[in-house]
Amino acid sequence: MNLLFDIANALLPEMLLAILIIICLVLTFSFKDDEQNLVFIAAMTGLIFILVSFVFLPNFQENSAFSGAFISNNFTILFRILILLGATFTVLLSKRYVSNFGNSIGEFYTLILMATLGAMLLTGANDLIMIFVAIETLSISSFALCGYTKLDKFSNEAALKYLVIGAASTAVMLYGFSFLYGITGQTNVDDIVYALSNYEGSIALIISFIFVVAGFGYKLSAVPFHTWAPDVYQGAPIPVAAYLSVVSKIAAFAALIRFMTLIYADISIFTVVIAVISVITMTAGNLMAVGQKNIKRLLAYSSIAQAGYVLLGLAVLTTEGISGMIFYLIVYLFMNLGTWAAVQIFASQTGMDSIDDYNGLAHKNRYFALCLSVCLLSLAGIPITAGFFAKFYLFKAVLFAGYEYMPLLIIALVNTVFAVFYYVKVIRAMYVRPVGKFAKQNGEVKISLSLQTVLVLTVLATVFLGLFAGPVIDLSKASADSLRINKKPQIENSTNITSCLGQ
Amino acid sequence: MEFLSLILLVLLPIIGAIIIFGPWFPQNEVKIRRFAKGWAGLVFIYSLFFIVGFNSSQAGYQFENILKLPNGNDWIAPLGINFAFGVDGISITLLVLTTFLVLISLIASKYSITKRHKLYYSMIFVLEAAILGVFTAKDLFLFFLFWEIELIPMYFLISIWGTGRKEYSAMKFILYTFTGSIFMLASILAVVFYHYSQTGILTFDLGVYTAIKDYSYPMIFSILAFFGFFAAFAVKLPIVPLHTWLPDAHVDAPTPVSMLLAGILLKMGGYGLIRMNLQILPEAVKVLAPLLIILGVINIIYAACIALVQTDLKKLVAYSSVSHMGIVLVGLGALNAAGISGAVFQMVAHGIISAGLFMVVGVIYLRTHTREIPMLGGIGQNAPRIMYFSLMIVLASLGLPLLIGFAAETLAFYGAFTSYAFDGFSAFGWYLPVSIRILTAVGIFGIILTAAYLLWMFQKVFYGNILPRWKNFHDATPHEVVILLSLILVIVVFGFYPKGLSSIFVPTVNNIVNLI
Repeated sequence: MNLLFDIANALLPEMLLAILIIICLVLTFSFKDDEQNLVFIAAMTGLIFILVSFVFLPNFQENSAFSGAFISNNFTILFRILILLGATFTVLLSKRYVSNFGNSIGEFYTLILMATLGAMLLTGANDLIMIFVAIETLSISSFALCGYTKLDKFSNEAALKYLVIGAASTAVMLYGFSFLYGITGQTNVDDIVYALSNYEGSIALIISFIFVVAGFGYKLSAVPFHTWAPDVYQGAPIPVAAYLSVVSKIAAFAALIRFMTLIYADISIFTVVIAVISVITMTAGNLMAVGQKNIKRLLAYSSIAQAGYVLLGLAVLTTEGISGMIFYLIVYLFMNLGTWAAVQIFASQTGMDSIDDYNGLAHKNRYFALCLSVCLLSLAGIPITAGFFAKFYLFKAVLFAGYEYMPLLIIALVNTVFAVFYYVKVIRAMYVRPVGKFAKQNGEVKISLSLQTVLVLTVLATVFLGLFAGPVIDLSKASADSLRINKKPQIENSTNITSCLGQ
Repeated sequence: MEFLSLILLVLLPIIGAIIIFGPWFPQNEVKIRRFAKGWAGLVFIYSLFFIVGFNSSQAGYQFENILKLPNGNDWIAPLGINFAFGVDGISITLLVLTTFLVLISLIASKYSITKRHKLYYSMIFVLEAAILGVFTAKDLFLFFLFWEIELIPMYFLISIWGTGRKEYSAMKFILYTFTGSIFMLASILAVVFYHYSQTGILTFDLGVYTAIKDYSYPMIFSILAFFGFFAAFAVKLPIVPLHTWLPDAHVDAPTPVSMLLAGILLKMGGYGLIRMNLQILPEAVKVLAPLLIILGVINIIYAACIALVQTDLKKLVAYSSVSHMGIVLVGLGALNAAGISGAVFQMVAHGIISAGLFMVVGVIYLRTHTREIPMLGGIGQNAPRIMYFSLMIVLASLGLPLLIGFAAETLAFYGAFTSYAFDGFSAFGWYLPVSIRILTAVGIFGIILTAAYLLWMFQKVFYGNILPRWKNFHDATPHEVVILLSLILVIVVFGFYPKGLSSIFVPTVNNIVNLI
């Protein structure tokens, strides 16, 4: 019993989630298809209950479970809350979608919960095996979710593509892990760090770094590992696409941040590699988004670009950079989910998803158009939304790491100009263009309550975080502080401007 | 003057926008417009109280106002960002200009805005709030924030209610301005980081950076930061060759929006140059001031030459705007009290005059649905009131004595001409003063060009026998009379008595000059 309490100190939400999954499974096979909305209710109550259960987790101190394979501290707690919030919103988003589909309703929610369990374990995973298992739990559930609408050929294509690329990239990451194991003979991250502290870097460590980055890059849809994202987002059910672009990404970022700062922070090419990936990701994402005609593909490329911005914080490798990433991800959760919710609402009304179909939407329902505009402006980084502040904070962290990061900052800033162009294109369609196909249809637009809730909550959060960012910045700072960046002190002081610019 | 709060002044238009946009407000066009005019009038009157309460003999910020969070913290405490407002002599002048022109342009909206009134009037109010925020922000972050907010309403105003290639022009406007402003953000961060690395204090408070600092920036840093800020303001002002968005935006925007664009938005560029470049980076300014004069003269001559060959009435006025903003640049480049006062004076003068010119163009376009000068002619026969009002505005624009433009141009050119004394400091020996004087003389030549194209335009449009197709052209309606008359009133009053205007901002200008 004592052992159980020890584990619960670190893993209480995950344990509850596992119980919830079992409950949902049982409900799924004990009720008929048309009564399975019960699973939705169970999942929602359960998720909210689990969110509340975080109160019982001992804060401010590090707890581990399974002999150090899982770590719970401020950093992972924040990320697990984010993931659960994302999952809750996704469940709300999918209610209408799934009940329209008609059968296997229960499985859908169960799979989302399973993926969430994997995502939460991934944030705190502190053992190579644990990371692998968590990623697989997340991925395999996601593969199934992508192919959920089994009669739709796009959905099948999405599932297959995601499966093949996912399997390949996990293999690559495992190969990278094997180098780490070869060098140190350990699988626990703390042990590896200890073993590496006396280890003069070698080519093997760098190779493992590259492979691990590639493996995570696939989850983050960082360029050049992004090719699956647009097709999967387009083909998969919209709630699943939202889930992949938000929750799955946030989990991968959490694991990436912890893994990279602990193990690879000392590698000489660390900053260069991450910075290059970040720059390529944001630039390619933004440039390719410019020409998109389909809103889902546009959002896919946009979320690729967003991942590029977030990686900036990792490239500079300072505590402030990490806290900038965390703040950005918090904001990203709301603004991106809000956008997906709006897309889902529109698709559920009309079944259309081309940008041109949004023409004249503001005439039809101006509050809906306003909500979508707020989310898009936030993604573009225009005040007074949270996205503006998130970018500002992240960019500030990049520059405050030293003037040598100025080029990186300028590239990121130039990227935001492209971003403005394509986000404004959607807003233009809604407000400026003459009334299109959808808006011509007669009759009041009825938006289901669950979708409305998601949209309103996320938009409110987006605006609120933009107005009162201070406390949330403190929060992300606190959770970044609980992370240690394993970098040997450098002799030269990089913040000294005179060394960079000369007199 | 306890009831004067700058935060309230900035929030008032936002409140107005919410009132209009919400479902509780009737869809009735007349009611919306009446309320909007009333609300803008309220904001204008409220802003007049600030002028009354303003102590013009005192330099530095007044009416300082900081909004704290309910728990007593600063707005974004972890980053040293304050929700702080304050005005000095320059910003209060532009503040009142803003509220005045918004009111005028709302009156002018009656004929040119025919659809989607709720959205239109709320967008105008959001725009007003953003501009007021830029002029009153006493925090670098806040300044940048309002600078960016202004983009969205302007985009909508041009692209929804505009004519012609409105979507293209609006997108061009937003991309140009946004591209400029990212460099400003980089500069802001660089300056703040430098302060942080020198003193260990993280703050975005504008007052800290504009006062005398106990460190000085390295020259390369200072010049790079200068150009970062400059990029944003050069697009806005605009400075040739970054001006190409302006004719497009002006031509395609509806009349009231053109008035606001030329009247206030361009002034944000000039204001930013004074506030950021001159006050934060005096070291760089000392080196680069001749560049400002050179760019200013290029602006004056180049834009005037292009205006000479325009046949589109609105394009002509737009290029005359570019040309007149060159005078602001020349005045700022002088770096002495006369020059900078001239620049500020020119900003106000041009704000009033260009709003008037665009109003005249709008009045003509409304009746004829053409802006081609060759198509027009003899309008004065049918519309003497419009003709005489236009004459006053045109004469003010080309700088006739006793009208507002004259004082501004004279001050600016005088300042530039005397900016480099022969015996004073000069890194380039006698070459610099002489070449600056020659340049200024060339710039003054631009005034003759201005007279040429404006008088040519005036003659073509108003004089001669009226063309048969315009025989139904009717004279100014009461609305238009009110608008034009109030603009002309300002032109004449401050033309006769420029001290009434200049005494507000001269102490601030002197303070700035002393710091450089």
